Amino acid sequence: MAMSAHATAHTSQAKAAELPRVPTPAIGPRANPYLDADSFEGEGDLMVLNMGPQHPSTHGVLRLKLWLDGEVVIKAVPYLGYLHRGVEKLLEKLSYVQSTPIVDKNDYVASMTNELALVMAFEKLEGCEVPRRARYLRTICAEMQRVASHLLWLGTFALDMGGALGGGTTAFMYCLRERERILDLFEELTGARFHYHMMQIGGVRHDLPVGWDVHMKQVAADIRARIPEYESMLSANPIFRSRTKGIGRIDARLAMELGLSGPNLRACGVDFDLRRSQPYAAYDEIEVHSALAYEGDVYARYQVRVAEMYESLRIATALVDGVPAGPIMGRKPIETVNAVKPPAGEAYVAIDSPRGELGCWVVSDGSPRPYRCKLRPPSYHALAALPYLLPGTTIPDVVVILGSLDPIMGEADR
Amino acid sequence: MNVLFGSPALHALVLGVGIVSALLGVTSYFIWFERKFAGRMQSRIGPKHVGPYGLLQPIADAFKLLIKADITPDTADRALFNLAPLLAVCVALLSLAVLPLASGLVIADLDVGVLFFLAAGALTVVPTWMAGWGSNNKYALLGGMRAIAQSVAYGVPLVLAALVPVILSGSMKLSDIVAAQAGGHWFALWPPGPGLGAGVLFVLASLAEGNRIPFDIPEAESELVSGISTEYTGMKFGMFYLGEYVHSLVVAALFVTLFLGGYDGPGPDVLALQLLWFVLKVSLVSVLLLWVRWSYVRLRSDQLMTLCWKYLLPSGLLLVAASAVWVWWTEQGGSR
Amino acid sequence: MSVIAPLLDALRTTIRNLGRKPITAMHPFEPRTRAPRYRQSFALLHEANGDEACIGCKKCEKICPSEVIVVGTAAKRESPATGKKRGWADDFTLDLQACIVCELCVQVCPVDAIVMVRVPNAPGFEREDLFLTMKRLYENEALPHAPAIGSSMIASHNPAPASQAQAAAPAQEPGT
Repeated sequence: MAMSAHATAHTSQAKAAELPRVPTPAIGPRANPYLDADSFEGEGDLMVLNMGPQHPSTHGVLRLKLWLDGEVVIKAVPYLGYLHRGVEKLLEKLSYVQSTPIVDKNDYVASMTNELALVMAFEKLEGCEVPRRARYLRTICAEMQRVASHLLWLGTFALDMGGALGGGTTAFMYCLRERERILDLFEELTGARFHYHMMQIGGVRHDLPVGWDVHMKQVAADIRARIPEYESMLSANPIFRSRTKGIGRIDARLAMELGLSGPNLRACGVDFDLRRSQPYAAYDEIEVHSALAYEGDVYARYQVRVAEMYESLRIATALVDGVPAGPIMGRKPIETVNAVKPPAGEAYVAIDSPRGELGCWVVSDGSPRPYRCKLRPPSYHALAALPYLLPGTTIPDVVVILGSLDPIMGEADR
Repeated sequence: MNVLFGSPALHALVLGVGIVSALLGVTSYFIWFERKFAGRMQSRIGPKHVGPYGLLQPIADAFKLLIKADITPDTADRALFNLAPLLAVCVALLSLAVLPLASGLVIADLDVGVLFFLAAGALTVVPTWMAGWGSNNKYALLGGMRAIAQSVAYGVPLVLAALVPVILSGSMKLSDIVAAQAGGHWFALWPPGPGLGAGVLFVLASLAEGNRIPFDIPEAESELVSGISTEYTGMKFGMFYLGEYVHSLVVAALFVTLFLGGYDGPGPDVLALQLLWFVLKVSLVSVLLLWVRWSYVRLRSDQLMTLCWKYLLPSGLLLVAASAVWVWWTEQGGSR
Repeated sequence: MSVIAPLLDALRTTIRNLGRKPITAMHPFEPRTRAPRYRQSFALLHEANGDEACIGCKKCEKICPSEVIVVGTAAKRESPATGKKRGWADDFTLDLQACIVCELCVQVCPVDAIVMVRVPNAPGFEREDLFLTMKRLYENEALPHAPAIGSSMIASHNPAPASQAQAAAPAQEPGT
């Protein structure tokens, strides 16, 4: 991605303007922390601790190999693959029509955006137009999904910090309480709460039910009113601040080298948002203010995600009023398994999922099944930052830093 | 001291058995209350299914813990591993011995009651470290290490905080301390400043010293899985849990005794009324502690140390000095 | 003071929430209102004239991403109701253990034979409890349906302008 193309794009960050601008330190060539993962001995008597794959705070089944001196981490290496389900290979076996509900299970807290990325890649390959109404619905769903995903992140992040028997659970329950309402909205729209199968090649599968827009605006207003409550429990709290500020700092250069994207990158002060730089769905019809922070630490990532919740609620509320009339599909209805047969070729589509740049690269050989379908999960790249961030911190910080990157192992392992 | 049942030994036995069993019963319903309270605070219902309002839940939980598989890891130090939970409950109950529930209703009214309590409190680290070391588990070891660091550190401000009522009342005997506060002259209210400050310090330090909520960093389930109790199952885990809650109740009771006038309250000096006042005050303090517990996230272990050495210890010294000055000033006839 | 005030603020937040109504419910004991489109299990339908609607075309079997549907196609024979010759299914099984509830089978059904029902399949102790045989699928017909059927979905997906009248959802069904 050329970073310069959109560096001069919109700069309208009301919230970001309040934040101090920290100059990015110039850092020389880095040692690769992965190289000696198997042979590392370290100095002195180090304890090797395998954190995960069964651990309450590893967000699924991440395994972190930590070399500890007391509680101080000397070296850390993440091991992935405990949730590998061979989704990419599975997509080669399934037809284009069948694969949409499968990728729901990749990033299981933001299914809508997974479907969207896949479906958009197929559409690009097939060259079919998506009607305006469908694009609006897709955008609304993606933005509400972003709120739901960030709410779950906020809750689990508080849980990482506060533990299962303390204030962390309280914040977690509050966040889940509001997330439930978004799931209720999706249930009204698609009939499912988690794995929606809302998107389909050429448009969306479900049209808006009667009264959905009113309900959605009500939910958005309620959540907007409740977010300050979480902030009063978290970011306003000196304990929370002392545990997040200055912890897990990523500088912009490292972030770009590792391919971080989404809130993790925007928290480093890099104004990179695919919704603005390559508008897809209906993002070309609405102004998107992506939140920015400059410190690159855990607190900055928290700030960016909370600001994004407000912004997503604003976008979804603004769009739902202007949903145009018209068809919801741009191609003839899908009635058979082999209905979609794109010409030979390849296509890459990337969208801004709640976790960052979610890409889908698909190669067609002209048959109804993709020859190859590669997903680019943002979580995978975020986890790559861990060996750079963890050394020098202690175990409580490990959990907080890991949580702040918002990895979803289903997506990272595929 | 006045003895209720003829010989002091019989008195201690009867009262001890009575108070301890009452406390264990109260504790299990305190846990029920906490779950209900926390549930409502989090927009949940809390226990509901077992009995009306879930009132039989503690009994169901106890049965569940009893019938669970009792696992001792092969590599564990069996003696330490199995003794630790038992000791955890016993140590938590020890402080009860010097606690006056009402005038005369005390197991052993030692002349050095405060000292005894401090000694018993310092013991809590022993079962914790036994569990941490005996489990032969890396998480448990880390938890045990944290526990020792924390207990040693917080023992100091705890002593300083307990010194304030001792200086103010001029006695280390808990019943004397209560008597000195009779008629509403509670140390938390008067003298303004040192008393209340020392009270807050006392609660913070004694919860931290016992590694109890909200300073349960040795357990820190989000970081250390379950810390010292990682390897424990069934009733052995249940005893750690019980010890934790007994300790927090005892801390609340001691706070009431040292700073809120103990069983002192308006009305005639009847045993039942005194007991009522005591229970009322302890419940109030406990609910306050619960409220705090379910509202805050956890500090990092090194930040907890910083809090102790940099803030609590100096303020403890200041409070002791201030109360000494206050006593000197009043003895000079300065209370015009 | 800058430390104490926010700490008290957090306490205020939690105590304010103490007064709010709990949002959880004792789920199996207290019924929960579900959206009309809520989809859980499956049913096979009969036609208005009493015939089994399924013609055994195997479209659903082919499109199912997790391959949980197996259709046995019978020979064509006359319908007892209309006397016309049509296809029949003599076996239809749907394995809920692997079903991912994507609704594609409903979407492709050319005769609106399969629908999703709004009542979840009861959990069971045997694997067979999650195995919907043809008999059980026809028994499920009595349960409340999700509104989507093949023809209505395809009609709403049709990009031709004439189909826009279908855009709105069908009438609401009462919650179960």
